[in-house]
Amino acid sequence: MIPLLIAHLVVAVACLAAGRAGARWALPFAALAPAATFVWLVAQAADVLDGDSPTSTVEWIPEFSLTIALRLDGFGLLMGLIVSGIGVLVLLYSTQYFGRRDDLGRLAGMLVGFAGAMLGIVWADGLLTLFVFWELTSITSFLLIGFTDKVEAARAAANRAFLVTGAGGLCLLAGLIILTITGDATTISELAADPPSGTLTNVALVLLLLGAFTKSAQFPFHFWLPGAMAAPTPVSAYLHSATMVKAGLVVVARFAPTFAAEGPWRWLIVGAGLSSLLLGGVRAMRQQDAKLALAHGTVSQLGFLMVLLGLGTSAATYAGVAMLLAHALFKAALFLCVGVVDHETGTRDMRRLRGLRRALPIVAASVTVAAASMAAIPPTFGFVAKEKALDGLLDNEIGAVGTVALIGIAIGSVLTVAYTIRIAVGLLGDDAPGIDVDHAPIDPASLHRPKPAFVAVPALLAVSSIVAGLAAGPVGRWLADVTTSLDEKTATKELKLWPGVNEALLLSTAIILAGVALWWFTRPSTRTVDARQSLATDIYDRLYDGLLDGARRTTVLTQSGSLPFYLAVVLTTLAAALGAALIAGATDSIASPRFSNSAVEFVAVVVTGALAIAVLAARTRFVAAVLLGGSGYGLAIVYLVQGAPDLAITQFLVETLTIVVFLLVLARLPSDFLPAPAWAPRIARITIAVAVGATMSLFALSASGSRTAPSAGEAYVALSEPEAGGRNVVNVILVDFRGFDTFGEITVLAVAGAGVINLVRAARREQRRKHIEDGTDVAPPETEVDRQVGAWR
Amino acid sequence: MIRSEPRFSVVLTATVNGITVILLLFSIFVTLRGHNAPGGGFAGGLVMGSAVILRYLAAGPPGVRSLRIDPISLIGAGLALAALVGLTSLVAGDAFLESAIWKTKVADIELKVVSSSIFDIGVHVLVVGVVMAVIVAFAEADDEMRGRR
Repeated sequence: MIPLLIAHLVVAVACLAAGRAGARWALPFAALAPAATFVWLVAQAADVLDGDSPTSTVEWIPEFSLTIALRLDGFGLLMGLIVSGIGVLVLLYSTQYFGRRDDLGRLAGMLVGFAGAMLGIVWADGLLTLFVFWELTSITSFLLIGFTDKVEAARAAANRAFLVTGAGGLCLLAGLIILTITGDATTISELAADPPSGTLTNVALVLLLLGAFTKSAQFPFHFWLPGAMAAPTPVSAYLHSATMVKAGLVVVARFAPTFAAEGPWRWLIVGAGLSSLLLGGVRAMRQQDAKLALAHGTVSQLGFLMVLLGLGTSAATYAGVAMLLAHALFKAALFLCVGVVDHETGTRDMRRLRGLRRALPIVAASVTVAAASMAAIPPTFGFVAKEKALDGLLDNEIGAVGTVALIGIAIGSVLTVAYTIRIAVGLLGDDAPGIDVDHAPIDPASLHRPKPAFVAVPALLAVSSIVAGLAAGPVGRWLADVTTSLDEKTATKELKLWPGVNEALLLSTAIILAGVALWWFTRPSTRTVDARQSLATDIYDRLYDGLLDGARRTTVLTQSGSLPFYLAVVLTTLAAALGAALIAGATDSIASPRFSNSAVEFVAVVVTGALAIAVLAARTRFVAAVLLGGSGYGLAIVYLVQGAPDLAITQFLVETLTIVVFLLVLARLPSDFLPAPAWAPRIARITIAVAVGATMSLFALSASGSRTAPSAGEAYVALSEPEAGGRNVVNVILVDFRGFDTFGEITVLAVAGAGVINLVRAARREQRRKHIEDGTDVAPPETEVDRQVGAWR
Repeated sequence: MIRSEPRFSVVLTATVNGITVILLLFSIFVTLRGHNAPGGGFAGGLVMGSAVILRYLAAGPPGVRSLRIDPISLIGAGLALAALVGLTSLVAGDAFLESAIWKTKVADIELKVVSSSIFDIGVHVLVVGVVMAVIVAFAEADDEMRGRR
């Protein structure tokens, strides 16, 4: 498994690196990685379905029991086949969809990178492994939604999707960490073997569900998914219908059999799932853009899947697994068909489409079949799966929550039938209801004919929906083995294309009839919510704006730009913190100060102090700076006398350069001090200064009198020559023993230096811009200066 | 060699021209001797940086510009060199920045090179870059004033 994930990474990097040169071959090349995965999974299938689960573990940071733990069980096999199979198909379809473009290397790289991350999620056994791959899909999804990065709306949609799923990812992480602690386990299989319980575990499960809901676009986090339709259609077909949005379902499916009976799990699942099912269904009825209608339909279907996979009963889980496969097949087919229509007609507006049955016969047939599967009409696989779901829910074994789920799903299914017919008729019908004046219908005669390879992919997916439906028996046995890997209690169950007349079939029939009726009576309605943002999006946007506004206000409040204010805050804090520490107990160990060891030191100390006091009397900035520098030199002499030549050298050099730079700056400023601000009267400034001076002095005395551990210096002196080959122990400490610290410090220095240069350049650009705006672009000091400046630009 | 513009002192320019080379050599000496005696990369870098400052004081912006060195490159090179030394010891299985010591004998004189000296050279280069970055900022400001005039 790990080599396959690495192959995805390598192919992704290769596609990204090839850039423009590789644009032509990137998509077919990228398909190699998922294709290899598909073949490998097929080869493993027999063993895995017999109950064998190959694992693959890489130690990452064993000290923190961080390992990359993967495990291929039946469910991982099914999801892996969906992810890699549809991945190959989407990549091949993309070669036709995009034609020749320069940025296909980027697209292919991100798509295959996403496929690898998604495989990581479905195969993950380690809890942190799951989280890492989860975040990788969020990041790749962000990049793919914003693929057309010159479009403002695409960037905004990408941002929104990323923040919502990212926040969910943090909830998931918190949940997984709590489970690691309460369950004393690092993998899903360990948790399932010995499940923890209690309040803390329930908190963890709620957090986990929040993560799953955001990723699978469940109410109230559903709003990012329609926005994500800003991505190119093949990307939407792959990520936002068949795979990524299933990540939340994967997590729920893996945890539900173990934890569904715990705390609020089932009610949360049913609440969020049914809300999404109904809300998505209603909103899908109101779209005129076929792709958006499908997106809202996806929210609805994901809600349905969430309920099935989250209830945790083996019958529901079994139906959920079947529905998962059915949904991947029909929804990808529908998205890809819309992609073909969009590509050939230039629009996805269902009011404008007509005559496609004759112009695009294969697409029309594929849409019909896939829609039939979505509406659960026999003999498609969607019908078989939905039948099983209703059957499983009718055998209610979990009380009230099961009844609510059944009623909600029945109503949701009526909506599903209605919006499915609406989409199919909208795409293929001729009557084009409610045409606006500015929306002229397309002329079917002028259509572009798609190449066979282009329509082959959705057609293949649509055919699979039928084949799986007709072969319900063997597929059902296979899916039963898959379900066993989630829930060991699964008794062998069967899927039947024709189960005979039973309650479920009657319910199905009623749902279909009601759906047709609903479609018929809402048909004349041209209501659309295209122009209006949903309430959830509004709330999200308001929260987001509020957050930014709050951050701005906080910044304005704390970063006033006034140096006296900053100094007052910093120094008061320093004096208060040190003073509190001293009062709290360190005062008894104050060492008695020694004023000097020698005559030289005495003179140095007196001069240093006198110069520091003289600064106070200085009238101009220039004089104050020079006096401060003199005080610093005095300190250097004290260091020298005390036997610290390295320190003295450094102090001396730093002091020199500081004075020079200080004076260079002062040369450009007014020579006199500005009057102190009104909020800081003289008495306040004196108080702060005295407090800082007093506490610092006391602190220094107290610190030198409170040594409890032996000095580290002696060990360093002893080790310096033999270990590091240097006799200057100060230097050896800097470059070897504590070299990591030094490295950190020079990194800070590097950042500061780079910051100075960039500030200068930014100011220069700004000025240039102003000159151009004013029309006084004198091409600031060009000739001589620019020629010479060239060196550092 | 820098030429003085009229507003700068001829004497200062001549002196700086004379001592630049000495300062550069001295700064390298300070850095390399640091391992066994007071000195080191930071101090050495500051000495070399003061040579840059002197050139600026003596001749203004052209004094720095004529060096034709991008401070960012110096900063990057220094940091990269230091990181490289650290990573080398990691790859060799030691702790980050643990010193390796090489000794050879050339004509009866024992030569000893310690890997941390190379780290110190990285520090030296980086510090020169940072000092230069500050001076470049002043030079740019001078140009701006002149452009406005």
